[in-house]
Amino acid sequence: MTSVRTYIINTSLYKGVQKSVRYVKQKGLDVMPERILSGEKFIDGIKYIGKNFSSDKQRVALGLTALVTQPYIDAHNKRVDEQTRKVSVAKTVAKIIAGTLTGFFIRYGCIKGIKALSQIPGKNVPKWKTLFTPKGIKDNTTEAFEQYRNAMGTVAALVIMLFTNFLIDAPLTKFMTNAFMKKMEDKK
Amino acid sequence: MTPPLSMFGKFKAALYKNYGENPGTMLVHTGALGWLLSSLAQIFAVAVNDKISPEQKSFLIPQEFADAAINILSFYIVTSSFKNFASKLVSTGKLSTKSIRNALQKQNVSNSVIGKLDFNIGKLKNTPKDYKPFKNGVEVIASTIGSIASCNIITPLLRNEYAAVRQKEIVSKMRSQNEKKQAGPYYKYSMADFQNLSGGNLKI
Repeated sequence: MTSVRTYIINTSLYKGVQKSVRYVKQKGLDVMPERILSGEKFIDGIKYIGKNFSSDKQRVALGLTALVTQPYIDAHNKRVDEQTRKVSVAKTVAKIIAGTLTGFFIRYGCIKGIKALSQIPGKNVPKWKTLFTPKGIKDNTTEAFEQYRNAMGTVAALVIMLFTNFLIDAPLTKFMTNAFMKKMEDKK
Repeated sequence: MTPPLSMFGKFKAALYKNYGENPGTMLVHTGALGWLLSSLAQIFAVAVNDKISPEQKSFLIPQEFADAAINILSFYIVTSSFKNFASKLVSTGKLSTKSIRNALQKQNVSNSVIGKLDFNIGKLKNTPKDYKPFKNGVEVIASTIGSIASCNIITPLLRNEYAAVRQKEIVSKMRSQNEKKQAGPYYKYSMADFQNLSGGNLKI
């Protein structure tokens, strides 16, 4: 495997592509103006986001912006007839609401749950509370450990959502789509 | 064979090592994994659904694969590009803070290397204290903007285009079948088929 990799890396094609990619990257960097940020509050805000903006909050951000863009895109899809567009918008809005609600709460719950189950081993800490603690961790206040908990919580949430996708999201989306369609028809 | 407990230990260590210092990367990878799992679930649901005939399955399963490929590729390419570019802006000093720049000056870092790919603040002997938290913040913001652009703008546009093309194909196929059989209006498939196609996967 390693020899195949070494062979590929040494081919002139690979080197050429690598050189081109590097050239494009450098050009992209050159185009960007140099910025030195000085506003303390602004910089602290960026650092705060890096530390605290985990996947549950990202899911909410995705859901809220989706409510603005996706129905608009569906409503202006000229390649399908008007009735199809209406159903498409109703289904999209329903799917976003259902997906965001379950996506947020499951991620939030899993991250909290992993936090509770990744304590630092000690005399008064039951073993089950250290189930998700990686070996050799002595300090639970480091940023790296906080980010690990977020990552593990997100992975656990993804596994749970394999099931809730069908058990909650799909029926909830269907129910809301029908409700939105009924409302649209009643308005007529 | 590695015992399950040992495998779980390795998994925890790998998560800690790879994502502990890189929350932006974690968001990109788990986002792509989310798309992948939801796509697999969708394909599995079609595969085990008794109400769908084998002929229909032979069309629907590849269709779900195509839909999944669009979702995952657009998410991964766009989001990781945003994140990587933002990361390079910070690591080369092109986007910086006053305290980071002061720390660089104290280490006699020349202004001419700022913005060059070979220069990486993270590899300096004395990495400025503010550098890592600032870089993490910029990466998380960039990956969130990237995921919004891919999930909420690029993917719906691509999916609608794809769905419209597929809908036309299905309608013409149904029309030719109906002409042969001389039974039933073809247009009754249009709405449902479009909905199946344009709806895509449920994002988890």
